[in-house]
Amino acid sequence: MKRNKTMIVVFLAPALIIFCAIFIYPILRTIVMSLFKVENVTSNPDQWIFVGIENYKTLIHTSLFQIALWNLARIWLIGGIVVLSLALLFAVILNSGIRFKKFYRAVIYMPNIISAVALATMWLQFVYNPKFGLLTTTFKSLGLDHLASINWTDSDHKFWALLFAYCFGMVGYHMLIFSSGIEKIPQELFEASTIDGASKTQQFKSITFPLLRSVIKTNITMWSITSVAFFVWSQLFSMVTADTQTITPMVYMYLQVFGAGNVISERNAGLGAAVGVLMGLCVVIVFFLTNRVIKEDDLEY
Amino acid sequence: MGRTRFTRNISWKKEARLFPGYLILTLWVIFTVVLIGWVFAASFATTREIFKGQALKFPTGFHFENYVKAWTSQNVSAFFLNSLGYASISSVLLILICAPAAYVLSRFKFFLNHTIQNSFVAAMGVPMVMIILPLFGVVTQLGLLKQDITVRILMIILYVGINVPYTTIFLLAFFSNLSSSYEEAAAIDGCPPMKIFWKIMLPLAQPGIITVSIFNFINVWNEYFMSLIFANNDRVKPVAVGLYSMIDSMKYTGDWAGMFAAVIIVFLPTFIIYLFLSEKIIAGITAGGLKG
Repeated sequence: MKRNKTMIVVFLAPALIIFCAIFIYPILRTIVMSLFKVENVTSNPDQWIFVGIENYKTLIHTSLFQIALWNLARIWLIGGIVVLSLALLFAVILNSGIRFKKFYRAVIYMPNIISAVALATMWLQFVYNPKFGLLTTTFKSLGLDHLASINWTDSDHKFWALLFAYCFGMVGYHMLIFSSGIEKIPQELFEASTIDGASKTQQFKSITFPLLRSVIKTNITMWSITSVAFFVWSQLFSMVTADTQTITPMVYMYLQVFGAGNVISERNAGLGAAVGVLMGLCVVIVFFLTNRVIKEDDLEY
Repeated sequence: MGRTRFTRNISWKKEARLFPGYLILTLWVIFTVVLIGWVFAASFATTREIFKGQALKFPTGFHFENYVKAWTSQNVSAFFLNSLGYASISSVLLILICAPAAYVLSRFKFFLNHTIQNSFVAAMGVPMVMIILPLFGVVTQLGLLKQDITVRILMIILYVGINVPYTTIFLLAFFSNLSSSYEEAAAIDGCPPMKIFWKIMLPLAQPGIITVSIFNFINVWNEYFMSLIFANNDRVKPVAVGLYSMIDSMKYTGDWAGMFAAVIIVFLPTFIIYLFLSEKIIAGITAGGLKG
């Protein structure tokens, strides 16, 4: 037993030390920092000025941050509905007995392994390009000159162009999660209901969907975690600094703490920390709400 | 002969019923192929041809020099080698750090075991914005961003750090599924526990280690936000951030073909890994995803 004790300590120590250094300590320090006015992100804690919840108040009254929050909310809700419905649809199709299941699955998941910078560039410089882009040339060849003349990355269309491109890349991951959930549902349930004369839609409504509850929960949680970190796509779609169409809280934080000072009124890294805490809270709230709404009744099957 | 076998195996009635499904998936797949295929083609064209809409026609042949130019003059070679270094070293370190931890967590009952596991699971949901500021503050105060070598070491530590929870939890699930009879047999033969781990359990966990290493490699290769903040000069930048600054400078150079070539260079390594190992990756996603 004593030998085991040394082994436990020796084997766990590296992982725990690095975990505390990269997660525990920074999280705690971010929370504390959000209650202080911090001139510069690199300043010593003894130069911090305690301001209580003043940073949060400032943030909530800053119109650029409100816009960022609003964009995030739209990405989360609209994008979430689109991505999760498509993902569920694809997962159901994949498990309906089609051929080439593995091929379809592999291609649909593929965008997830591509660097977001590369993927966003493909969309931006090819699909949405106003001169030789896929949309423009397709609409032109169909004779839809009005649609062909739209610049998809101008400020009227940018947000939707961004959201659409982002969703395309996200479907595959959530499809895999749904698909593995469907694979776990015993085949007999479907066979029995087919014998009883249930249609595919009825089967989906009464068997697949109710039995996917915990998988839906996983998907909503994962979607929220990735949404909160929405950053690269905004940065690529707006090379100018603070673009109201694409700004998200993370972009705001980046501009506030590291970025071009001209858009930000006040040098205060405490505000950045407060953004971090708020984003963390969002994930926690969504997690608990989904757990509340979608009850995990231990289904035996 | 082939035809009779074909018709016997296929139920046309069933296939017809599945037609809408085939249609939807096929359209999606076609779009994906067009998206990547066109960019691939454009990377061999000239900028003038791309603007004339002739990217798929190659009127002047294949221009491999786009790649040569991107690789040499645009710094892509440096970014590429940086990423290769960061991703491979981090993946190896992650196994060395997380496999022992995962093994101990999966095999021994002790105080805090469950707390540690739960914190690791929770950490997978922590957004980067919650940890980045203190990390940056501390690192700058320690003066670690002044020299290239310290920046490189620091980036590897950070890549390792952010992937510790996921890797540990993934391997933990894997070790839990390994039967403990091997260890018991070895223990009876007088093999010390640490040796049992390195000589017997680690080799047995190889499939899980390979899968999680692929993930870590791809994750580090594609990591963007942290690299953007810590990699403060072109010599230490990984591909994702390097590509971004290249695209940014495109506004002045106007070399579109070269940019598409750079996109393909960044895209290829993970794509090739995926081409050969997609089944393993997909199996790993579904195993890991359901835990989260």
